[in-house]
Amino acid sequence: MGYSFTLRTIYPYFGDLWQSALNTLSLSLLAIVLSIALGALVALMRRSALRPVRLLGAAYVEVMRNTPLLVILYLVYFAAPEAGVRLSSFMAALVGLTLNSAGYMAEILRAGLIAVPPGQFEAAQSQGMSSAQVLRHVVFPQVFRTIYAPLGNQVIAVILASSLATAVALDEVASWMQTVGSSSFRFFETFVVAAVVYLVLCQSVNIARILIGRKLFPQGRRA
Amino acid sequence: MMQYWPLMLKSAGTTLWLSWLAMLLGALGGTALALLRQIRFAPLRWVVIGYMEFFRSIPILIVLFFAFYGVPLLLEVDISPFVAATLALALHASATMSEVVSAGIASVGRGQWEAAAAAGFSWPQTMRHIIAPQALRVILPPSVGVFITTLKESSLASIIGYIELTRTGLLVRDSTGGGFLPLLALGAVYFVINYAISQVGAALERRLHIGRRSDLVGAMA
Repeated sequence: MGYSFTLRTIYPYFGDLWQSALNTLSLSLLAIVLSIALGALVALMRRSALRPVRLLGAAYVEVMRNTPLLVILYLVYFAAPEAGVRLSSFMAALVGLTLNSAGYMAEILRAGLIAVPPGQFEAAQSQGMSSAQVLRHVVFPQVFRTIYAPLGNQVIAVILASSLATAVALDEVASWMQTVGSSSFRFFETFVVAAVVYLVLCQSVNIARILIGRKLFPQGRRA
Repeated sequence: MMQYWPLMLKSAGTTLWLSWLAMLLGALGGTALALLRQIRFAPLRWVVIGYMEFFRSIPILIVLFFAFYGVPLLLEVDISPFVAATLALALHASATMSEVVSAGIASVGRGQWEAAAAAGFSWPQTMRHIIAPQALRVILPPSVGVFITTLKESSLASIIGYIELTRTGLLVRDSTGGGFLPLLALGAVYFVINYAISQVGAALERRLHIGRRSDLVGAMA
């Protein structure tokens, strides 16, 4: 025994931590936005009238949900140069994370779309609403309400999953913990610091989700 | 590449063994936590909820780093990559499983507790004979999802040098002179295993007549 907890040894590395935390944050934010877009596309594919398109969408979801993110990251990182594309660590991580998260986003969005009964589309159209209006005033509010809670979970999942970018040599919070820990032999301290960063990020999302949920759906049970 | 298939399949066995062990420990731990949460003593509940929120808000990778590099420094014991990986995966799985088990217990109506109490059942008897059998129906399908997540997360053990499926894939890639085909094969092996398990889960759900596999926090790996 005789291990004493001291943050002093790792003070000099706190500057790097800031940069790493920014990488974690920007990687997660971009991956969330891009995977919502890609996920929406896949969700719409799964509702297509064409069977091959539907199957392609379903296959995409199954592949992404049943393959480890780490393997997808390695594939992107190692395969891209062979296809003649030079990807930075950040770009490789972003592409891998987006592809993977889109599989989950597609399922969340699909569940949201299913929650809108077909009769509502018809009813809105018979009221003389344009399809843009139907989407904006009828479909979106209901879809949003259904996807609100799982979307929050997925945002947290992406933040946590962004730690795997350390495997493709991106300086983010998990790799900060690893490199600073191995150069200072202060793994307990670096673990605590990294855990605090992730806890703050994830719990802010969590708390924001609950507070915003209360405002948006005052009568609802889901928050 | 062909000559490496036996190696890949053997290491798939290693991955399955690691994830199964972690899942088993996680399920036991998660059940214990869920039962603790039943006790009407606020501080105890806060501790359990704190534990859950903690492990669901930090990436499994930093738990793995801590278990492998930090614990030996802290306790002056040697920890093998296998033990570190099992520990980290089990801790994470236990947090998720405690949520699953709690939801299962909550799904059994209050009336069942009251009826059991009226019939003179003690708390352990009620749990064992009345609640558990009904809760299990709700617990099993999402557990399959947790197992798939654990199996995917077990790929992280490759980062601390444990030779399981992912590390083997990377080694095969190195010894065949690079290229992404070995990685594609690697992904395919994972897909086949997980897809098969998810089909078992779907069949289970159909039999038990309940909702879809739910995606829990941190389920992406």
